[in-house]
Amino acid sequence: MYQYDDYDRRIITERAQQFRGQVTRRLSGEITEDEFKPLRLQNGLYRQLHAYMLRVAVPYGLLSSTQVRKLAHIARTYDRGYGHFTTRQNIQYNWPKLTDVPTILDELASVEMHAVQTSGNCVRNITADHFAGIARDELEDPRPYCEILRQWSTFHPEFAHLPRKFKIAVTGTPGEDRAAVRFHDIGLRIVENARGERGFEVLVGGGMGRTPIIGEVVREFLPKKHFLSYIDSILRVYNLHGRRDNKYKARIKILVAALGIDEFRRRVEEDWEASRTPELELPDAEIARVAAFFAPPAYESLPASDPTRIVLGKDRELGNWVRNNVVAHKVPGYSAVIISVKQKGTPPGDVSDTQMDAIAGLADRFSFGHLVVTHTQNLVLTDVKTSELPALHAELRRIDLGEANANKITDIITCPGLDYCDLANARSIPLSLEISERFDRIDYLNDVGDVSIKISGCINACGHHHVGNIGILGIDKRGVEFYQLMLGGSPGNDASIGKILGRALAQDEIVDAVEKVLDRYLTIRESSDERFLDTVRRVGFDPFKVAVYGSADPLEAGAE
Amino acid sequence: MFWVVTANFTEDGAVAYRRSDGTWARALAEAGLLDSEAIAKELATTATQREQREISDAYPIQIDVENGVILAQSARERIRANGPTIRVRRPD
Amino acid sequence: MTQIIRDRAIVDDDFVHIADGAELSGKPIVSLARYIKERDSLRTLPALGVRVPPDKLPADIPDLGRLTLIALELTKFTEGRPYSVARMIRQRYGFKGELRAVGDVLRDDLRYLERCGFNAFELKQGKSLTSALEAFAELGPTYQADANEPLPIYRRR
Repeated sequence: MYQYDDYDRRIITERAQQFRGQVTRRLSGEITEDEFKPLRLQNGLYRQLHAYMLRVAVPYGLLSSTQVRKLAHIARTYDRGYGHFTTRQNIQYNWPKLTDVPTILDELASVEMHAVQTSGNCVRNITADHFAGIARDELEDPRPYCEILRQWSTFHPEFAHLPRKFKIAVTGTPGEDRAAVRFHDIGLRIVENARGERGFEVLVGGGMGRTPIIGEVVREFLPKKHFLSYIDSILRVYNLHGRRDNKYKARIKILVAALGIDEFRRRVEEDWEASRTPELELPDAEIARVAAFFAPPAYESLPASDPTRIVLGKDRELGNWVRNNVVAHKVPGYSAVIISVKQKGTPPGDVSDTQMDAIAGLADRFSFGHLVVTHTQNLVLTDVKTSELPALHAELRRIDLGEANANKITDIITCPGLDYCDLANARSIPLSLEISERFDRIDYLNDVGDVSIKISGCINACGHHHVGNIGILGIDKRGVEFYQLMLGGSPGNDASIGKILGRALAQDEIVDAVEKVLDRYLTIRESSDERFLDTVRRVGFDPFKVAVYGSADPLEAGAE
Repeated sequence: MFWVVTANFTEDGAVAYRRSDGTWARALAEAGLLDSEAIAKELATTATQREQREISDAYPIQIDVENGVILAQSARERIRANGPTIRVRRPD
Repeated sequence: MTQIIRDRAIVDDDFVHIADGAELSGKPIVSLARYIKERDSLRTLPALGVRVPPDKLPADIPDLGRLTLIALELTKFTEGRPYSVARMIRQRYGFKGELRAVGDVLRDDLRYLERCGFNAFELKQGKSLTSALEAFAELGPTYQADANEPLPIYRRR
């Protein structure tokens, strides 16, 4: 992975010092909370319902075991013994004291980490395909470009006060989008043009939140050397013309929709012609320099080995885990392993300090000392010898992380919701815990197959409910929590936005409703090969409305 | 109908409630009851301006009193008063 | 006389903000609207500054190159448009005069503003200029090209 040089190190340590000064000035009364707020936000420090929350950037989700041990240490020393992995491939601490945060930033800087721009109206953490570098269907590893973008976006002087936050995702696999690039402010897909040259397809204006929109292509093929200057121009057009009068209409997607993609493109190209200089071109040598940090590890030359043998073996728990959580690797004899952070009884994405330490050890022992945070709030050990899967599974079970539910209905994406979040309207975590408990039967999970359930506690959609095959959105009705049920969303190449099934459901109705939807699917699917999403797309909503509301009549179902 | 003034402590972000004597408590039970929303709003605004170093972002909330116990009305304020409804690893 | 930061030093402000309709005095800074209306008489002054609201682009400022000073208004510190406008004024229009940030100008934004081409700053009232001066030194190295540095990091490493 990328290693800081003196430049990177100075930038991050000076930032930590600067924040220490800002905290001192806040505590002494030199600056007000209103003035401090944007400063702390640009450093990832929110204030939630019960405490501050520090969001630490995990650039493109990649962590070394050394970093994971540091994260464990921070959880133990300055927080309450756990951290929470987020849908932005980051980690959050829910209980830091303001007075400790400068020291936490120093600790992070010592392992080349930071909390820069994990909040605020600026370019946020760059996210990527969590199987980057090892996917069989990948055209090119996106991580070098993510790192180049990380540096470009860090303290970009012109874009520190954008109309609203800005998220960029990159994938190097044209055939399968695991980074939800169509739901980002900018999505980048590495593609090959007719002449066989590599470049980027640039999508713009996607997003979730209050107004879910699928991004559109602003440029079909952008040569690599123009990568940064073109993105500069997109940001500049947005910075100058994005709405600033209404924060709910301030994202770039609203600007793109208002102008139309053609006019937006014209403005970007016009700015680009006026602003690009030869100096801004990204030299091949720089791409090569950064790419070298992501060179494949020292794989052994192993015979191809098919894990099916393990799946069909006597140990059913291991078999299910291999079947559901192990992913094919481009190198023979190796596999990628999804560590499900959806343990029964624990909030999705939460990992304790002792688990983090243990995971760091497993990464060292089984996977060249690295792991990846996924936007589905799981972890991936990317380079595990297939022959060592049973040993790894045994170790994971020992630390309660051996759940065999990747991509299944209990692998739920959940935002923190009203248990922690200042913006939430309803709780999400208790709901996901209830769903996991209700469906805690491996045969049922396997029978239902790949279904994504995504829960957000408010319209801001941190739980990605719009792109859940089943999406749940918490709303507030005069101080009481209610939930809307949505069906049909998908974040990938077949992107679609889920639609509301019917009237909002009370807290004691919603899990029953999910069960009714799943049971109906099992009875009406054409075969066990037809995925839930495909059934919904084939039959529409009526059978599910009948299942949940007893009627497909819009008045009965009360579509809102 | 009663109101209390709530905020968050600057130092650790914890929930704060204004006592009758103007100091800040960590428990809703210690909050000073106000019978006028206008006064509660006024106190919140003044506190936000003048007591920045100790607390931030004060605002009034309406509460119920049952058998002498102060109860927040909305789900949000109940969770603020009592903490997350799910288990936290280490309560501290 | 009020003090401002100019070229990283605290100096007395030799310019005067003139309200629309008020009589000119000293080295005036007038609003863009007044400048456009009274351009013929104003352009004869030996020194002239124009105050530009955040929704204007450089193309909205006639004869930009002949002005002594351009003041871009940060109506709120969250107003980000002047950052882009400043870069365009410097880098595309080649403006060499004083580019001043006025309005809700905060210490912790000074370095960003400077990198976008501002060289003068009227700080928000009541804020310490001495403390503000320290802000310029807080973040040393930079990754991007900017109004003062044509080379991005990958051509400087």
